[in-house]
Amino acid sequence: MTGPSRIFAVENKLGQIAREPGGRRPEDAIRAAEGRVESVRGSSAKVLVEKAEQLTALAAKGRGGDTSVLDAIYDTSNATFGIAGTFGLGALAEAAFSLCDLADWFRNGEPVNWPAIDVHVDGIRLLANLGDKAGAAGADSILDGLRRVRARVAPAA
Amino acid sequence: MSQAYGKTERVNLSTAEVLLACGDLQGLTIMAEMFAGFGVHSPRKCQTMADCKAVVKERIINLMVVDSALNDAEGYEFISWLRRAELDPNSFAPVILVTGHTRPSQVFRGRDAGASFVVAKPAVPTVMMQRIVWLMHDQRKFVNSPGYCGPDRRVKALGPPVGMKGRRHDDLSAEVGIAKTPNLEQDEIDALFNPKAVAL
Repeated sequence: MTGPSRIFAVENKLGQIAREPGGRRPEDAIRAAEGRVESVRGSSAKVLVEKAEQLTALAAKGRGGDTSVLDAIYDTSNATFGIAGTFGLGALAEAAFSLCDLADWFRNGEPVNWPAIDVHVDGIRLLANLGDKAGAAGADSILDGLRRVRARVAPAA
Repeated sequence: MSQAYGKTERVNLSTAEVLLACGDLQGLTIMAEMFAGFGVHSPRKCQTMADCKAVVKERIINLMVVDSALNDAEGYEFISWLRRAELDPNSFAPVILVTGHTRPSQVFRGRDAGASFVVAKPAVPTVMMQRIVWLMHDQRKFVNSPGYCGPDRRVKALGPPVGMKGRRHDDLSAEVGIAKTPNLEQDEIDALFNPKAVAL
């Protein structure tokens, strides 16, 4: 695009609509939203287990020589991170985030270290199956291992 | 950003047209539940950039919440396209970009794509409502330039940095020029502070 810059005011339609009579106090809206989100905790836990199984299948395919699966691994672990974080599954979210780091690192040209990915996928599968029953001590030991692997394999990721 | 709301603050999203976009179906479900709790009826749910484009071409949208990961593209691409699509008023509508695995470069990428806000996951209801309330009061102007199209990225209006010339056409110089009109008389100054009713 060429041409001069323009700075101009725009109508805040959202503000007009949201200030119409009625509505709810933000605190009440937040409480209602938290309740609605909580209502899908069960189905989300099942989806997290399914995603862990998808990661297992993708890693197996990758080990067979198909590095194009790195994009799918990244996307699946990214989705896992988002869902796990919403429900306070911190350890699972951290493990998924770490796998995102690795997949992103490898898909940008670094030689792929499949054992490092396998270790992450195993950890994610375990944490997803345990759900909120994952004890703090057990989760910490899994995360410690994943952090060491990530630091060794992809220090700058 | 303050977490407290005004005592009289109320949010009515029952008639707002909201677009929710996320490439992951469960992520989209969670987002839709959250906005149902906020009082939004029948949001437009999209998993692809193609769906998003179709929706904004078809109807007026008041708020968009776009995940950075769509099925066929990245959320950034949709926002960049939207801002330059000349779809009045949708091109100027507030857009909240939700990011998952986020590197610092991606935060800037979201801002530079023209998002009104970038929210990192987990995007919990408290955070999302704060951003919505902020956007309700947003008075930022819109910038359309060769390098950027979207809400003014300068949230605070503090003028140009000290010692630098402002780049806005309406930035005032720190130098005060010579008066071009006669000084006010003291009576006139007093009148400014003590307005009185007059018979016309």
